[in-house]
Amino acid sequence: MEKCSDPPAPRVKKPHTDVSPVASQGLLSILRKLKSTPDQEVRILLLGLDNGGKTTLLKQLASEDISHITPTQGFNIKSVQSQGFKLNVWDIGGQRKIRPYWRNYFENTDVLIYVIDSADRKRFEETGQELAELLDEEKLSGVPVLVFANKQDLLTAAPASEIAEGLNLHTIRDRMWQIQSCSALTGEGIQEGMNWVCKSVNSKKK
Amino acid sequence: SWESSQTESTTTNTKMLGYIWHYFYSSFLRYIQKWLIRQVTGTCELQRICSGYQPGAARTTRAEYSLRSSKSKVLRGALETSKDNLGQSVDQVMKEKSIKPEKDPQFKERFHICLLQITGYGSLYASVEDLRTVTFSSDNPKHEAMLFKLWDLLMPAVKLESRITKQWGDIGFQGDDPKTDFRGMGLLGLINLVFFSENYTMEAQQVLSHANHPKLGYSYAIVGINLTEMAYSLLKSGALKPHFYNTVQGWPELQHFHQLYCYLAYEFDKFWVAEEPESIMHFNQYREKFHNIVKAHLQDPDVSLTLTVSSGN
Repeated sequence: MEKCSDPPAPRVKKPHTDVSPVASQGLLSILRKLKSTPDQEVRILLLGLDNGGKTTLLKQLASEDISHITPTQGFNIKSVQSQGFKLNVWDIGGQRKIRPYWRNYFENTDVLIYVIDSADRKRFEETGQELAELLDEEKLSGVPVLVFANKQDLLTAAPASEIAEGLNLHTIRDRMWQIQSCSALTGEGIQEGMNWVCKSVNSKKK
Repeated sequence: SWESSQTESTTTNTKMLGYIWHYFYSSFLRYIQKWLIRQVTGTCELQRICSGYQPGAARTTRAEYSLRSSKSKVLRGALETSKDNLGQSVDQVMKEKSIKPEKDPQFKERFHICLLQITGYGSLYASVEDLRTVTFSSDNPKHEAMLFKLWDLLMPAVKLESRITKQWGDIGFQGDDPKTDFRGMGLLGLINLVFFSENYTMEAQQVLSHANHPKLGYSYAIVGINLTEMAYSLLKSGALKPHFYNTVQGWPELQHFHQLYCYLAYEFDKFWVAEEPESIMHFNQYREKFHNIVKAHLQDPDVSLTLTVSSGN
C-alpha cells in the first residue's frame, strides 16, 4: 500500500511547446495530456515525540475535525493539494516504543517536518536528541527540515527562538532548515510553515 | 442480443418505476393505505406496529419512523419529550390517535417502552458527550483515584513506584504520565478502561497479556482509548440504535454504553490475535477492518453486541 514517488524522475513539468508542435497533436490530445498530468507529488514525513500535536497538524492540513483525536497507534496518512503540489503527509506515532519503526518511512522523503510541544520543557532534551539522531540518518541526508514550535496557544510555551537555540539549529550546514512557531489547535502559523515546505521543494529541484 | 437488450431496458424501466412508486408511496399512497387499513381494522399504524412486531429494533425502529414522518405535531413532538414527561406524552399520542385502552390494552405499555428507547438514545448520547468533554486533570483527586484503580485492577501483583513513572507503559500508555493520552476522549476514555477492568477483570487481564506480547502486541491503554472513540462515533451517528433497542427494554443508561465498550475491547483483541498483523504500525488498517465488521453487524435488525465470555479461559 506504500506508494513511493520515483525519486530521480523529472519533477518539473517540461513546457509542452518543446515536445512537439501543437498543430500536429490536435487540441483534444493536448487537453487530455494536460488533464492527465498529475500534480507533482511530495512525500512529507511528520515526526516528533508523542503528544507533540502531529495528528492535529495533519487534520488541520486536511481541514478535518480536530476535536476527537486519540493517540496514534501506527501511522496516519493524508494527501493534501497545495500550490500545485500533492502533499502526501505521513504522520507516524511518536511513542518511544514505536520510534524504532520511524526508519521504515525515511525512504524518498522530500521534506521532514519535526513537531515540538513548546510547552513541554521537561522533554526538550529528549526531543532534541531524537531530532539530532534523525539528522544523522543517511536516508534523510540533505532532506530539508521544518521544525514546528507547536502549542504557542499555551501561555507556558517557549518561543521559537529559544527552542532553535536549545536544539542548536544554527549549526545545521548540510540542509535547508526552518523553525516556525505555530498552534495546530488554532491553525496559526501552519500556512507559513507549509509555504516554506513548498518553497524548499521547488528550490531543491532547480 | 435482442433478448438481452430487452431485459436491460426492462430493468431500467423497473428502476424508474421504482423511484416513481417510492415518491408516490411516501408522499401520497402511504396515507391512503394507512387510512384504508384504519377503516377496515379500526387500528392506527402505531397500534399495528406495537402489536405486529417483536419488541426491540423491529418494533422501535418502525415506531420511530412512523412518529418522525407523521403529519401530527403531537406525534412528532413525542420524539423530543424529556424522561419526566414521557407518560404524559404517551397519553397525548393515544388521545390524538383515538386509541382506546379497553380495545387495545397492551398498546400503552408497549408504546411507552418504544418511546423510552427512542428518547433515551438521544439522552445517552448527551451524557456520553458530557463525559467526553471533561478533560482529565491531575489536580482532581477523583480522576487520579480512577487512574490508580486502573493500575491496581490490571496489575494487582505490581506496585506503582510513583505517579510519574515508565511503568505506565506496562499497561499501554505512551509515556510516563498517562494524562496526555486521553486527549479527544477526555474522562470518557478512562471511565471505559476502568469499567472493563472492574467488571471483566479476568478478561481485561487476558487482553492485556495479549497486548503485551513481544511480537503481536499493541498498546493496551491507547488502543482502548481509540476504541472509546469508535464507540462514541457509532453512538453519535445513530448506528447503535438497533443494538440498544434490542438489548435495553427501556431507558438506556451510561453503563449500557460502557458495556458496549467492553464488547469492542474484547472483540478487537480476539480479532487482532486472529489476524496476526505484521506489526503495530498496521494498526489503523486493522482497526478499519474491525470497524467495518462492527458496522456490518449493526445492519442486522437482530443485532446485539454483548460480550459473551467463552468458558474455559
